[in-house]
Amino acid sequence: MGYKFNFADADRLFCNIFDKYDIYAPKKFPKQGRYSDTDIIKYAKINSINEIEFHIKSDYSAKEVLNPINETLFYFIENEFRESSAPKKPILLFARPCDINAIEIQSKIFEENGEFSDIYFTRIKNNLKFVLMDCNGGDDTCFCVSMNSNFTDNWAIAIKQLENEYLLSIKDSEFTSDFENCEQTDFSPEFVQQNTLSVNIKEIPNKEVLNKLKEHPFWLEYDKRCISCGSCTVSCPTCTCFTTRDIIYSENPKVGERKRVYASCQIEGFDQMAGQKEIRNKASERMRYKVLHKYHDYKERFKTKHMCVGCGRCIHRCPEAISIVSTLEKMNNAIDEILNKDIQE
Amino acid sequence: MVQQNQNPMIPTACKILSIVKETDIEYTFRVESPFQANHGQFMQLSIPKIGEAPISISELGDNYMDFTLRAVGKVTNEIFEKQVGDFLFLRGPYGNGWPYEELKGKHLVFITGGTGLAPVRSLLNEFYNNMDLVKSITLISGFKNKESILFKDELKNWQEKFRTFYTLDNDKIEGWNSGLVTNFVKEIDFNSFDNNYAVIVVGPPIMMKFTGLELKKHDIPDENIWMSFERKMSCAIGKCGHCRIDETYICLDGPVFPYTKAKNLVD
Amino acid sequence: MNKDIDIKKLRLNCYRQSKEVGKFMLQMRVPGGFIDAKYLSIVQHIAQTYGDGNFHFGTRQTFNITGIPYENIPEVNKYLEQYIEEVETCLCDVNMNTIAGEEAYWEPQSGYPTIGARNITACIGNYHCICGNINTFELARKIESIIFPSHYHIKINISGCPNDCNKAHMCDFGIIGVARMEYHPERCIACGACVKACEKGATRVLSLNENLGRIEKDACCCVGCGECVRACPTSAWTRQETPFYRVIIGGRTGRQTPRAGKMFLNWATEDVILNTLKNWQKFSAYVMDNKPEYLHGGHLIDRAGYKKFKEIILDGVKLNPECLVAENIFWDETEYRSNFNVKPINLHK
Repeated sequence: MGYKFNFADADRLFCNIFDKYDIYAPKKFPKQGRYSDTDIIKYAKINSINEIEFHIKSDYSAKEVLNPINETLFYFIENEFRESSAPKKPILLFARPCDINAIEIQSKIFEENGEFSDIYFTRIKNNLKFVLMDCNGGDDTCFCVSMNSNFTDNWAIAIKQLENEYLLSIKDSEFTSDFENCEQTDFSPEFVQQNTLSVNIKEIPNKEVLNKLKEHPFWLEYDKRCISCGSCTVSCPTCTCFTTRDIIYSENPKVGERKRVYASCQIEGFDQMAGQKEIRNKASERMRYKVLHKYHDYKERFKTKHMCVGCGRCIHRCPEAISIVSTLEKMNNAIDEILNKDIQE
Repeated sequence: MVQQNQNPMIPTACKILSIVKETDIEYTFRVESPFQANHGQFMQLSIPKIGEAPISISELGDNYMDFTLRAVGKVTNEIFEKQVGDFLFLRGPYGNGWPYEELKGKHLVFITGGTGLAPVRSLLNEFYNNMDLVKSITLISGFKNKESILFKDELKNWQEKFRTFYTLDNDKIEGWNSGLVTNFVKEIDFNSFDNNYAVIVVGPPIMMKFTGLELKKHDIPDENIWMSFERKMSCAIGKCGHCRIDETYICLDGPVFPYTKAKNLVD
Repeated sequence: MNKDIDIKKLRLNCYRQSKEVGKFMLQMRVPGGFIDAKYLSIVQHIAQTYGDGNFHFGTRQTFNITGIPYENIPEVNKYLEQYIEEVETCLCDVNMNTIAGEEAYWEPQSGYPTIGARNITACIGNYHCICGNINTFELARKIESIIFPSHYHIKINISGCPNDCNKAHMCDFGIIGVARMEYHPERCIACGACVKACEKGATRVLSLNENLGRIEKDACCCVGCGECVRACPTSAWTRQETPFYRVIIGGRTGRQTPRAGKMFLNWATEDVILNTLKNWQKFSAYVMDNKPEYLHGGHLIDRAGYKKFKEIILDGVKLNPECLVAENIFWDETEYRSNFNVKPINLHK
């Protein structure tokens, strides 16, 4: 069971929800792309359902809503601290299955790694509901099916945009009354069953193979190709790394803030300690660190799925046309090579 | 004293009780502390509006902690400007610390390089004052040159009760050896320890790597060796990602690791 | 060879005299140097049917067909009718029945009516190039109808970005696509990629303010290249939606006084560019007293003086608020004749 309504009625039907929630969704920003006359799609607070970009995958992921690029942790007022305040309203977040699954990965790190839960992430997540956006299968960089992240049941509302109308399905009874007068129709969300791209990730059986893999020469290709810009990790919906940074308000040096800012293991200085040499100072080493985290280390730590939802944004955003899928194919070959050599020896 | 905050990212203001100038660029700050910590743990030290850095605890008292640091960055440079009575901002303690219970009753060999002496200082002092807790202590401690020697008074005291090898990498002064710490591993008769011993190694990554290899040359079992790691950190609570090596977070799972694990931690 | 040919008349018709008397080279206009590849078959047909079978890429991005005998010219002009119609009239909206904006009958099978306003050249621009800030050939097509047909000489080069691959600095009226940037501090991770890009590839106007964790910009010296946008991994730098243009005037090659052009307008909008160029005929007519000579725009600016040029060329042009106009221009020529500028005025003619 579902509902159907046309574009013109959308905002009227959502008006109670707009009152109660801040709605965040992917939105197109014309001509803000990396190259001139190209657009960017990023998450933003929206004021109309019709502002939402339903059909093209966003360049940046939904993680920015729960885990903003810049986030104030607390304010300094002389020697005192004031924790930054949580968003006033609960959030309704429009996202595709890959991004919803990615938030669960973010949660593993922010909420389950170590004894402390990250209060900043949790205070938003606990006050947030998902609107599942129908995904048409994404684009030619998507491989969610391979990563088992094409499906989710973590949603309150599911929505699909057609040429002139929306189809809606409601799972969370909180929203039922808003749409009860709409025309009813058969609609329940469907999930992508196949992408044009697929990957197969080989198991790394033990530490010995892992450490041999780190030394494998196939990584060296990225010294020539990767420019260590960090576009992949910024757009990655599962990357969580951050650096804290203290700010002094220039107009009053007694006041400032400690904020956290996205860090990227791909950008120079990620592991740099003051007064010491950088540990991974080559693009190939940084690439290896990222890839192994996504397709080995995370899973090894949390005994769960891999730390990749196959959204393909790292491929899409890479200015040097490096495809993670090709990297994985090369890595698979390297693993085979290491295992075969071990058998021979 | 300010109460510890509910939010683990928010530090507590702690008063500086004393400052000891160890070398021209390394000072030890004794700070009033409400925190309960173990030997080998570390704290996040910060100066509001400047930044934060993980610093190992170099001495533990009932109401104080020592931090021995080198002015090498934005945060440490600013800390060096502080005076007795000023505040440092602390949160922690973090990390596992030394396996105190496991070390007790053993012959202990400490091998330290440079400021690597700081994270074991509290442990050395603990045993120095309670030699009945251990069978024996051997300390191999190396510094780059005479200007970089830390804890001079304690080094002298420890000679009374420990077997000591103090060495300078590339300098000569009276009463000191010359050469790298690895050269002195052969001086230790591990067989006399009756397989009841532990080796503790702390220092720069390259020193720890070669000391590990040297110990393996002497057939020291992996389980008998312990190392403490130092990595960049922003949070110290497993979120920021900087200190991760493979599936291991230095801040949560370390900084102290048995060599069985440490030898596989390849950045 | 005994031939009686009005060489000058043929030049106006875009046929260039060759070493061999009676043989000519046709120059076909390609505004912005960009055109449907299907027209290559027309080029091939003319070259093989009427010329010597060869073809040259004109230095001003014209299709140049060599070795056309004088007697073939009427046939070639007839054949050109379709090309001129499709490219000039349809693609560029040129009114072929005018010269310098005045009504003038043009016989469609008579070939090009004027050579004065040269083919507008352009780099590929953002149709393809990752550095380009503007669509260069679309602008060229808009300008074509303003400057052509005309006997007043003007060379216009369009470059998509301040790298100026198409040498806007070396023509009468050079146009460079520039972008005005927007900074979104909430997206900035202070990685410094933009600072490095600007240092390496532009004018070093960016720096990282460590206390604020933000990028600061010396907007005054920003050339508007967009390298910061390209380098930014988070879209903290974006281009404003409106494209802007820089105009470089008075550049030239030549035997006597080659020189690079100087900036006339900065941060002008497309409207400003087009309206400025609409005054070009008026300015040329003023300097030459309505009698077109074979003199390029840069020389006309020299004769009139920059102030006069500015007065006429900006007459009635409403500048956008961002637009900056050069107060004065200080030319810097390579003088192959050191007395060029002290030559008595009557010797200039």
